Amino acid sequence: MTQKLFHIFRNTPLGRETMLQSIYFCQKMGVLPTTYIPEFTKFLMYFENDVVQVDLDPSYLSDPDTAVTHMEQLLEEGKIKPDLFTPKNYTASTLPDIPTNFEFMCCPRSISDLSSKIGLGYIGPRVRRIIQAARFPVLITSPVFKPWQSIAVFFGGSANAVNALRLSVRVAKMTGMSLNIFTQAGKTTPSGYRSIVQAKGLEKPLKSVLNHWTFFEKGRFEDNLYEVPHDALVVMGAYGHGIIRDIMFGSMMEKIQSTMSNNLLIAGPKYTMIG
Amino acid sequence: MIPILKKLKYPGSWSLFRSDDRLLLMIFAIIVGICSGLAALFLNRSLEIMLEWLHHYRGNWWAIFLPAVGAALSSLFLEKIVNEGAGHGVPEVIYAVSRYGGLLRLRSSFSRLFSSFLTIGSGGSAGPEAPVVMSGASIGSNIAQVFSLNDRQRVALVGCGAAGAIAAIFNAPISGMVFAIEVILGEWSTMNIIPIAIAAVAGTEVSRLLKGNQIAFAHRIFNIHFHDILACVGLAVFCALASILLTRALRSMHHVAKGVALPLWCRAAIGGSMVGAIGYFLPYVLGEGYHAIRTAIEGGFSGGLLLVTVIALVKILSTALTLGWGGSGGIFAPCLVIGAFVGLSFHRIIAAIWSSVPWVNEGCFALLGMTGLISGILQAPLTGIFLVIEITGGYEVILPLIVVSAISTTLCHYLEPASFYLKDLVEQGQLLRPGTDARVLTDLSIQELLETDCICVHPNMRLADFIGIVKSSHRNYFPVEDQQSRQFVGMIHLDDIRPYLFDPAMHHAVLTGQVMDPHVKTISLHDDLSEVLQKMDDGHIFSMPVVADNRFLGMISKATLLDQYRKELMVQTGRF
Repeated sequence: MTQKLFHIFRNTPLGRETMLQSIYFCQKMGVLPTTYIPEFTKFLMYFENDVVQVDLDPSYLSDPDTAVTHMEQLLEEGKIKPDLFTPKNYTASTLPDIPTNFEFMCCPRSISDLSSKIGLGYIGPRVRRIIQAARFPVLITSPVFKPWQSIAVFFGGSANAVNALRLSVRVAKMTGMSLNIFTQAGKTTPSGYRSIVQAKGLEKPLKSVLNHWTFFEKGRFEDNLYEVPHDALVVMGAYGHGIIRDIMFGSMMEKIQSTMSNNLLIAGPKYTMIG
Repeated sequence: MIPILKKLKYPGSWSLFRSDDRLLLMIFAIIVGICSGLAALFLNRSLEIMLEWLHHYRGNWWAIFLPAVGAALSSLFLEKIVNEGAGHGVPEVIYAVSRYGGLLRLRSSFSRLFSSFLTIGSGGSAGPEAPVVMSGASIGSNIAQVFSLNDRQRVALVGCGAAGAIAAIFNAPISGMVFAIEVILGEWSTMNIIPIAIAAVAGTEVSRLLKGNQIAFAHRIFNIHFHDILACVGLAVFCALASILLTRALRSMHHVAKGVALPLWCRAAIGGSMVGAIGYFLPYVLGEGYHAIRTAIEGGFSGGLLLVTVIALVKILSTALTLGWGGSGGIFAPCLVIGAFVGLSFHRIIAAIWSSVPWVNEGCFALLGMTGLISGILQAPLTGIFLVIEITGGYEVILPLIVVSAISTTLCHYLEPASFYLKDLVEQGQLLRPGTDARVLTDLSIQELLETDCICVHPNMRLADFIGIVKSSHRNYFPVEDQQSRQFVGMIHLDDIRPYLFDPAMHHAVLTGQVMDPHVKTISLHDDLSEVLQKMDDGHIFSMPVVADNRFLGMISKATLLDQYRKELMVQTGRF
């Protein structure tokens, strides 16, 4: 069964970059994009135990007469058949319901703020809510289209990190790209981390896709991020530990998203592996 | 410490509640009832203060603009600050219960409270009851979300929130309970009744603690005779007509306002200024109108037939202007006012025609009119009956109340099959009550019912080879795909090859492409299951192929569908 990526199209130059990124992701992963061109500035996403109202930046409604044409052109250039999503259900007359039964979702760092406010260090509250409630990974794109050539995953040994590692292995297998693991070594030794991977049954799947596992033995985590290739798709889990697991992003995630401009593929606390 | 806190977040998984969650729901019902009761009283008290403060200025000429200012501010608050649409809110609660297991946004727990405070407090013709229902329901929903309760439990807490709110604002626990079950949930199940009743009690207790045990509309004792009960039939007809008129006026005004190319707050201001202008000459139409109701029930209204009829009609118009043009509020209170004056009108008519008959005091007809309106417009007869009994303390009028309520509801149903709250949902096919056919099917997806163990063949296959495949399969249907493009081209059923099965000469002469059905009906992953079932029934088919982008994905069979249907139904109705 073909997997789907949900994309909300913004008919602006920034939106074009995001769309190109989605198209590239779909080409590499063999998934199909379903594109929504909003008619209203808000919509609702009903998850299993949460309802998120997404308030779009008004630029999402720019130039509606050309939006469909521009979207189709971009998809056709990427040799992908356009699939336009039209909401069937409405909570209120100007509040459509967007389904959540797709495998990936793409959005920029913020969908409620002006393009000029989007930058490093900022992931909008709506995007955070979506990541925390969704069962699917969310692709947060870099501001400018940059084809990624490898996959980078941060592994700290926690259950969250194992989930992110599984996702990255899946992406590596589907794209045929090499996978690089980065670990900020703490109290656990490199062999300790390898044992965790082995205990989780990931050693064999990892063998076929792993390029290199880098252990940062010294230096600050933020400084070591320079070693991550600029053109890598960064895969990570987005949640904290313990009681705040489901409420706030972890500190590693916050550091990465505020330091790196790579494309990010983020798995939230409710992410479930499909296939 | 942290494991304990983590466990607190998932009470549904505790062994105490795993087999029977009634106790869990009762505990949460108390919490939700208290919270929703407090929210309702907060709005109530705020309105009292606002109305008292503005009362001194009503005599000034510029007071006609007060409802306009209030409605405009209300609309701006909803649109710009909380990013929510105006409206009654109750249909949204019913929609969420129908479709999404009662998931409601947190902002709805306070947004309508504030917006309706601005609309009603400034004189808009609307009621605070629907906003507090929305608020209470949202409180219940969000408490359920925080504690990760399942859909059924969350729906129960939404009902608890609604019940607690109504119970608190009217000091009427039974009305709150009946309203939540009859209107919000739409089903009478013991799993829901108990927590909802407890929430109603909790809301009422909060109200009595803070406001005292007051009856909203005290009245004299009525001596009702048989001829009064007979007259109720006529009153019910009047009430039904008034209900239909109010429903249609609200919807028409909404359509008219939609056609005005102005920002939402401007439209709200226009509606508000028209209400203000009307209210300058007829103050009865402004605000909730409880003062007018008290006068009517006490039998002290001195106006003649023409005046009371005009007030009833103008109140309908004012309510339609307030809510249809973008103000925020509900229809409960306006219905009570309109019903009271319809009752007065009817009393004056029958007293004029049959002047020698000793009719009961007109206050009684005002009471009955209130019931008729509420029952008719909501098509919720029990809510109408219990509400009026509890807010007036008038149990002696129960017999005529039942008559008016039943007849008004029935007549309204003939003229408007769906109630005011449900009309839009029914028209859009969005009303899916838990445990109903439509709701169960909505919760199933074609993807989860897909059977993918079919063996595909190609059209150039000889029958002899095809028979070999049939031997190794346990299916009766075989999809045919083009050998090169793998596109779906048709379907073969075992019945299609029966004529050739026992004739070996045909085994090498016949190709599968010659016996397949190229025009077989297919379905896609996005089709509604109710439509799929309809197609199966219409064509007497028991299995259908699912095709996407001309590629065969699998089969969907009636047997599997009904098996999953049964499991889903058991989950939704709580019978495991």
